[in-house]
Amino acid sequence: MKATIRHSLVAALGIVALTFAVAPVAAHATVPKAGTIKLGYFGPLTGSNAVEGIDMENAAKLAIDNWNKKGGVLGDQITLDAQDSPCVAAVAVQAAQKLVTDGVVGVVGPYCSSDAIPASVIYHRAGIPFITGASTNPKLTEQGFDDVFRTVGRDDEQGVFAASIMAGWHAKRIAIVHDNTTYAHGLATQTQVALAKHPGMKVVFFDAIVPGSRDFTAILTRIRSVKPDVTYFTGYVADGGLFVKQFVSLGVPGRIMAGDANNGAEFISLAGKASEKAFITGALLPQMVPSAAGFVKQFTAKYHLAPGPYSGYTYDAMDILLYAIQKTGSTNGATLVRFLKGLKNYPGVTGPITFTSTGDRKQIQYTLLTVRHGQFVRAM
Amino acid sequence: MDTFLQQVINGLTLGSFYALVALGYTMVYGIIRLINFAHGDLFMVGAFAGLSLLSSLGGLAGKMSPFVIIPLVFIVPMATVGLMGAVIERLAYRPLRRAPRLSPLITAIGVSLALEIAVELLTKAQYQLFPSVLPSTVWSIGNVVISAAQVLIVPVTLALMAALYLFVQRTMLGKAMRAIAIDQDTAQMMGINVDSLISLTFFVGGALAAAAGVMFGTYYGSINFDMGFLLGLKAFTAAVLGGIGNIPGAMLGGYLLGLLETFAAGYISGEWKDVFAFLILIGVLTLRPTGILGEHVVEKI
Repeated sequence: MKATIRHSLVAALGIVALTFAVAPVAAHATVPKAGTIKLGYFGPLTGSNAVEGIDMENAAKLAIDNWNKKGGVLGDQITLDAQDSPCVAAVAVQAAQKLVTDGVVGVVGPYCSSDAIPASVIYHRAGIPFITGASTNPKLTEQGFDDVFRTVGRDDEQGVFAASIMAGWHAKRIAIVHDNTTYAHGLATQTQVALAKHPGMKVVFFDAIVPGSRDFTAILTRIRSVKPDVTYFTGYVADGGLFVKQFVSLGVPGRIMAGDANNGAEFISLAGKASEKAFITGALLPQMVPSAAGFVKQFTAKYHLAPGPYSGYTYDAMDILLYAIQKTGSTNGATLVRFLKGLKNYPGVTGPITFTSTGDRKQIQYTLLTVRHGQFVRAM
Repeated sequence: MDTFLQQVINGLTLGSFYALVALGYTMVYGIIRLINFAHGDLFMVGAFAGLSLLSSLGGLAGKMSPFVIIPLVFIVPMATVGLMGAVIERLAYRPLRRAPRLSPLITAIGVSLALEIAVELLTKAQYQLFPSVLPSTVWSIGNVVISAAQVLIVPVTLALMAALYLFVQRTMLGKAMRAIAIDQDTAQMMGINVDSLISLTFFVGGALAAAAGVMFGTYYGSINFDMGFLLGLKAFTAAVLGGIGNIPGAMLGGYLLGLLETFAAGYISGEWKDVFAFLILIGVLTLRPTGILGEHVVEKI
């Protein structure tokens, strides 16, 4: 074939290919239908934390359904735009950008703090209020963005709580293990800082595992040799369950404690019998909070699943956003932010909600959980 | 001393997985000079095959005697994944046997990605729980703890490796495989069915990887779609460490890497363990580029 014809054919094919590549993306950048208001959710719908992510999405959907049943908000029906954010910062930013382009007026989610922090920059630039129901790293609300809120606690509070529990056990030697993610490292450091205020308590071991490596026997054997009174694992559940299981089977002395990413049913299935020896710090599960009884019933009836640990917080996040829109009569970001900052004791399913000047939640109550007969129970 | 012994046991257990997967890499490299990047994923598929088998047996598995269920949970995935390995060879690598060296390498990467993404989509990237077919008893001798799974893993691995070694060294088929590894064209001229034997090599490699996958699932209790990637990479480096193309070398390399990694995690730092293990690998190769037992020169990729 002559060179020019061949080249033109290749060029034409290239253009066709490019069109096919771009078209689906263009089709997906949906503009909200007239007469609807769009709210966004991003969180891990795939990956090792998908159970939590889908649970939180369900909670957000439930909040929207309840409002839609009452006639929606500002006379419009509400739709949910859900994006996958599987605890990979680069994907989180893409998800955030997508939500902004899709024209959402508020966002709830995600799960991992390593997603929340980069995404918050995107939302702040777009002036969209962002409420997280699960990301606990303190840095999220310390960036000076007035439109970032959270309905959960912060890891500096959790660290203080963890240290006080260990003090209550008269523990002297503490081992802390994290996994180098924003959340886990943050919680580990905060716990170490909190322990420094307790004289007589010493951190004898501070190291990280490689997430996903599954084999923690080497590091646990080393921990065993330093004889800690308490070992605190601050990573995520896919590792936490196995860590606890191996901790118990290797006969490491002392108690084993895990951070609040391990308060889901997956922890119990992964750790098996060993889960009964573990203590988990975290906020109360919805089943343990009286104000959440109606929510638990509704959620279980709709999804045939027990609500997970962050479902209540995410429900409240979505609910409070919609309430703000309704009360201010506006979807303008700055207006909503002003309203949310001024809100006092909003009756959420997780209890009364008041935000601090940095967007954190006042008066989060932490508790210690353990496992009995395959269920989480309060240990205190 | 107890800690040291415990770490040795931990390292030998981990090394068993590396050794079994390294064997597949080394055999394939030995026979057709291809680094089969998809091999680590056969390990992963083997684990999922074991999981599928146990799930489909359901309650029946609990009622079967361990003497029936344990061999079954090995043999079926080994046969299936072995077959898969041979099919992959037939479809993806055989057409490229005379092509420049880079082509089958890229194809191997493609196969690896295809397998990983397929499993990722099927499992929504969530980790799956692997039911335990072994009792969870542990024995302690002093401060050293050995679990039932560990008691199974190392001897089974050694038995499989011994079987492979005897097969390659003492049988006619094994001799033919070694002949192909030395000179493929001459072997063909001598009347050896090169195609069948290469398929057999892939079958055996896949079967060993599947055995490792099933034991991994039983030991750790959870599997997911990308468990083959890092383990495959480490197994490959173990094969190179022992001498790529050399079967005892792969066994040695696998156990050595398992012990190195465990000692690095145990005595230096949990988060830096991979760095130290690979630094040592680089050191060994700098001093001895053909690997510890190797005679073949490591090909630059």
